[in-house]
Amino acid sequence: MIPENMRQELQNRIASAVTNREAAVDVMKSLQAHYGWLTDEAVVEAAELLGLTPLQIEELATFYEMIYRRPVGRYVIHVCDSISCWAMGGETVMGKIAGLLGISVGGTTADGLFTLLPCCCLGNCGQSPTLMIGDTIYNRVTAESAAELIEQYRNP
Amino acid sequence: MPKLIIDNIPVEVAEGTTVLEAAQSVDIPIPHFCWHPALGKAGACRVCAVKMLDGPVKGIQMSCMLPVMEEMVVSTTDPEAMAMRRSVIEWLMINHPHDCPVCDEGGECQLQDYTIAGGHGIRRYTGTKRTHVNQQLGPYIEHEMNRCIQCYRCVRFYQEYAGGTDFGVMGSAGRVYFGRFQDGPLESPFSGNLVDICPTGVFTDKTARFRARYWDYDMAPSICQECSLGCSITPVARYRELLKIIGRRNDAVNAWFICDRGRFSAATPVNNPLRPRTPRIEGREAGWDSALDAIVQRVSELLKNHGPGCIALVGSQRLSLEGMALLPELSTIMLADAPCYFCDERERVQTSAAVTGLTGAISASMADIRQADCIAIVDVDLMAEAPMMVLAVRQAWRSGAGVYSIGETVDLPCECTAVATLDDVPLATAQRPVIICGTSGFTTARQYVSLPMAKGEPVKISCILPGPNSFSAALFSHEHAAISLEQAISSGRIKGIIAVEADIPPELSADIPVIAALDWRNTDTVAAAQIILPTTAWAEMDGTCINNEGRAQHFRKTMNPGLPVHGLNPAGHPSHLHRTIPPGGDLRPAWQIIDELIVRMGGTRTTEQLNGKWEKLRHLDAEGDGLPIYEL
Repeated sequence: MIPENMRQELQNRIASAVTNREAAVDVMKSLQAHYGWLTDEAVVEAAELLGLTPLQIEELATFYEMIYRRPVGRYVIHVCDSISCWAMGGETVMGKIAGLLGISVGGTTADGLFTLLPCCCLGNCGQSPTLMIGDTIYNRVTAESAAELIEQYRNP
Repeated sequence: MPKLIIDNIPVEVAEGTTVLEAAQSVDIPIPHFCWHPALGKAGACRVCAVKMLDGPVKGIQMSCMLPVMEEMVVSTTDPEAMAMRRSVIEWLMINHPHDCPVCDEGGECQLQDYTIAGGHGIRRYTGTKRTHVNQQLGPYIEHEMNRCIQCYRCVRFYQEYAGGTDFGVMGSAGRVYFGRFQDGPLESPFSGNLVDICPTGVFTDKTARFRARYWDYDMAPSICQECSLGCSITPVARYRELLKIIGRRNDAVNAWFICDRGRFSAATPVNNPLRPRTPRIEGREAGWDSALDAIVQRVSELLKNHGPGCIALVGSQRLSLEGMALLPELSTIMLADAPCYFCDERERVQTSAAVTGLTGAISASMADIRQADCIAIVDVDLMAEAPMMVLAVRQAWRSGAGVYSIGETVDLPCECTAVATLDDVPLATAQRPVIICGTSGFTTARQYVSLPMAKGEPVKISCILPGPNSFSAALFSHEHAAISLEQAISSGRIKGIIAVEADIPPELSADIPVIAALDWRNTDTVAAAQIILPTTAWAEMDGTCINNEGRAQHFRKTMNPGLPVHGLNPAGHPSHLHRTIPPGGDLRPAWQIIDELIVRMGGTRTTEQLNGKWEKLRHLDAEGDGLPIYEL
């Protein structure tokens, strides 16, 4: 259950959209921020708010890679694995991070702090290889700078 | 009309036709998965590749996505195009399981056909395959997502064509998944079409699971008997059991699809183990001769005691045209009044008014509905009485038609404006307006046919009738000035009833004996009858019926009658009786029994059931579109 003030806020957001569907991603992101990931309950709540069926929400939710339909850690690390970043050493960065965290790609650390996910183009090819932690994008990442980044998030 | 050359054959087709369709028009088949005539193109499967040798476009192209253009030279057999198709097939097969032997689609699988035709006989890929978790989609449809080749046909049919909202496509890239949010029965009343439309075995008919292979099927072109629309179907039978029903194309009626009611409920009564299988006299099994003689004897006795007019012959709206056509002769020879084709007087009056009020010019086919630009639905629950009409209305709406409802609120998978009367519907300014009504609303709707039109065609009417062959019943009833059974009984002269595939309300036959019931269903009337003569069901005989539009359609015999092998008590096997017909298989079409009674009453045997104006229907092609009776 989402709090009443959040419900009201989302209803206002939906009312200001030309079509309900247009507000779907915003609603899903808010619910995801609230629950930590987009739970089954959240899908049904989003459907009710938007006047869509749960299936119609699920179609959108599973299409976007930054909507999480499974539990994730506090920080989600998206490492770009598209062509530009791959050519500039993205694979090495991904391998380094996986090694540092002791998880495989797609996994979450035992302390629930990090989830490592590949992602498809962050629109930052000019600064490749690139990755995103939470909402922050990092440019020209190397194995060394990746290690520093992880350390920063571990001990802020 | 652009002219082009396909495999050295000059072709001229209408503007907007795709290269794939142009090739089909000259019998050149191009493999395809995502393209479907009713759904159009998606460009998703890449298997319809052809090579453009000359003209405005060059090189390898997807023939389903490419509209024909002047001076195109197309090759479907070019080595480059063939290599492309072979590679695409191989790629589609990478994740497809090797489970054809245990897949119900095996033998009727487009993927199987094109894989073999494309020359991909041996797998090279040895890696792991993508796998999915299947869903429980209810009692009718089996889900096996591992077989999916991502053609998107299912979701395009379910959401776009049929307006369903509980089934769709999830995920992206190599993980796309076609299903529901969670397990549960599919909500659309047209969900069964997923089985027909899936080019492989992702959706198969659960009701016929693991029962037979395509090459063992008994199949014939047939007509659905579940409502008055008369959709084209192909029933599938094996071992004397009606296994499943497949939709069959008829552009004038149902186009490509059928409803779940037609698909999943028609087989049950045909397979019912309690069906009448042998003639019976007072509950005891009897031979055909003695049962027929007993009827003649009882009729003669009644005639001796009460004089002419004491027998009521009752037909029904589910009896085939052949049976209906012979009934008047039997009633003459039994000195009875004209046969009652209806039990209920009100139903007779209303149905007759509708059928006699329709003409070829004003009667709308389902194709007319799909092409209409203004549709008024008057007081009729289409989902209950004629489900496929809902799908036709939706297609019109998708093309921009306005849909209005008057009276009873209807739940349609399209926008629908509720209005008070037909005057509130902008019929006069439409190009191709149609009114859909039930028999009760016909008289009102009929007045709008003469509505002065601003520029469009006059209003057409589609009147939903109570039963699969109501149109014929009303025609015969009108022709012979017949009254309903209700009215006949109220005259007080009726002393005995002969019911021919008729469901007689118990209150009507309370004081009057049902001398005989001819039927294939196990009805209350059969239970109450003194003498029972078992008839063949629609799937076990040839016949003709006329749909609500007035379109006569022929249905062919699918299977030989008999007790289904499935479900027989094994203790009864092996049977030590010598017989040339299977157990429970000695049934006759109703018209043959009527004819036999005519002969035994002293009449002459009928050599041809369809005479006079019906003569033209004798050679009606069961695989054609049917024939509007206005053209007879």
